[in-house]
Amino acid sequence: MAVGVQSEDSPQRRRVRRAALLWALIAIAFYAGFIVLTLVRARK
Amino acid sequence: MAETHAPAASHDDHDHKPHGWRRWVYSTNHKDIGTMYLIFSCTMFFIGGAMAMLIRLELFKPGLQFFDPQFFNSLTTMHALIMIFGAVMPGWTGLANWMIPMQLGAPDMALPRLNNLSFWILPFAFTLLIGSLFVPGGAPAGGWTMYPPLVLQTGAAFPMLIFSIHLMGASSILGAINVIVTIMNMRAPSITLLRMPLFVWTWLITAYLLIAVMPVLAGAVTMLLTDHFFGTTFFTAAGGGDPVMFQHIFWFFGHPEVYILILPAFGIVSEVIPTFSRKPLFGYEAMVYATASIAFLSFIVWAHHMFTVGMPLAAQLFFMLTTMLIAVPTGVKVFNWTATMWKGSLSFEPPMLFALAFLFLFTIGGFSGLMLAIVPADYQYQDTYFVVAHFHYVLVPGAIFGMMAGVYYWLPKWTGHMYDLKLAKWHFWLSTIFVNVLFFPQHFLGLAGMPRRIPDYAVQFTDWNMVSSIGGFGFGLSQLIFPYLIWKCVRGGERVGNKAWEGAHGLEWELPSPPPFHSWTEPPSDAVIARGAEH
Repeated sequence: MAVGVQSEDSPQRRRVRRAALLWALIAIAFYAGFIVLTLVRARK
Repeated sequence: MAETHAPAASHDDHDHKPHGWRRWVYSTNHKDIGTMYLIFSCTMFFIGGAMAMLIRLELFKPGLQFFDPQFFNSLTTMHALIMIFGAVMPGWTGLANWMIPMQLGAPDMALPRLNNLSFWILPFAFTLLIGSLFVPGGAPAGGWTMYPPLVLQTGAAFPMLIFSIHLMGASSILGAINVIVTIMNMRAPSITLLRMPLFVWTWLITAYLLIAVMPVLAGAVTMLLTDHFFGTTFFTAAGGGDPVMFQHIFWFFGHPEVYILILPAFGIVSEVIPTFSRKPLFGYEAMVYATASIAFLSFIVWAHHMFTVGMPLAAQLFFMLTTMLIAVPTGVKVFNWTATMWKGSLSFEPPMLFALAFLFLFTIGGFSGLMLAIVPADYQYQDTYFVVAHFHYVLVPGAIFGMMAGVYYWLPKWTGHMYDLKLAKWHFWLSTIFVNVLFFPQHFLGLAGMPRRIPDYAVQFTDWNMVSSIGGFGFGLSQLIFPYLIWKCVRGGERVGNKAWEGAHGLEWELPSPPPFHSWTEPPSDAVIARGAEH
């Protein structure tokens, strides 16, 4: 096996993928959340 | 587990690397990507620095000397955007790329291809931003804060500005995800969270901040874009929108951004001072908790940037007190750095000199920050040169000196050569003297009432402006030593062993200098980790 390379479905790879997706979703939530917040405030 | 491998010659067979342009364009190697980030950051530092020198040239005398006011405003706006997003943030990401895997016993970053993408977004973002200087209407000139309605008057450069901010944001978010995932998943088994080096800790907290606030900036500029092109009125009073709302959203991003720029410097100073004091860091856990406290507080102080727009007294009191509260964890840090040096066996190599200058001069920036936190005083200081002096003390002898300390600390590890120590000391002394000549008089100018962001000023401000400009030219020119010194060090010099500094500790010093292309191909053993932690 090449240096530092693990099989596609090793537990560590799965953990890495899951964590990366989670943080990307959190970032997207902040992006959309603040636009929605501004809209909601503007309606008042 | 067998004794591991600081992998040197035994791993030559694994040390294959691509050659030519493919090595850099397709790179997934944390060190190569780190190097590209650092070169990019240095390039932007000189472009932004050249703009700063043009600003100081115009301000050398009262009256309009060289530039029309619109172009002068473009210079201040572009200088800020380039320095913040192009020089300081990529500089920290470069250091993170180089050092985090090496300090944690990991073979690389967790997401190497994402790492490549994060970097290669940046040249496009900054080509777009700098290219805006050459379009009709000129570059953005409304300040880096992009307040509407002023920013909506930008000409053809407006969509270029917004798109470049989106690209920079995307790059930072991807980089931050990579850092968090690497730290949480790729540490050597026995490196628990509270055994991580302080540089890794400060970067972990910085990455959390980035993920929380960069999307907020992206949201704000998206709304500016739709206000400009699609008829929405998020921030347009005529359509029922609220321009002050933009300021709240911007500073909800903007204040944590200040800590994004400075926290990694705290980490580096926490590595450098123990090394050159030959003592362990005083109060490691307190440093971690202080960093986390600063990050938490950074989310609840944003309105101190906008006291004068008008807000209820209770809000003013809340933001004043929370801002002052930041002095507590920051004071813990300054105390611990000082206590680390207490009765230490100190020596004053260039990284230590930069760390010490950081300690003194960043504290000056911190004190003027406390003055600005006091609401009635802020009404006087708002939009004067006192503010300019304050944030430049935080960012230049703060963030930039912290970065210099880091580069001078790890450069022998990266290249395998010791650099010219005498030249580095010249760089330090010239930088430290001129940075004070440049920024200290700006306190006086601000207190005397000189407004910021103007190309012309009343004659009574002339003397200190001249002094400040002389400091600016001196500081700018003395930075030329830095790339020359690095170039000289890369080409050759006295060879160094694994441990370039006698008092150094940490896993990176268990690797050869320069480290092999693939660092920790197997996790370091407990024995290696314990040896790395020894003083």
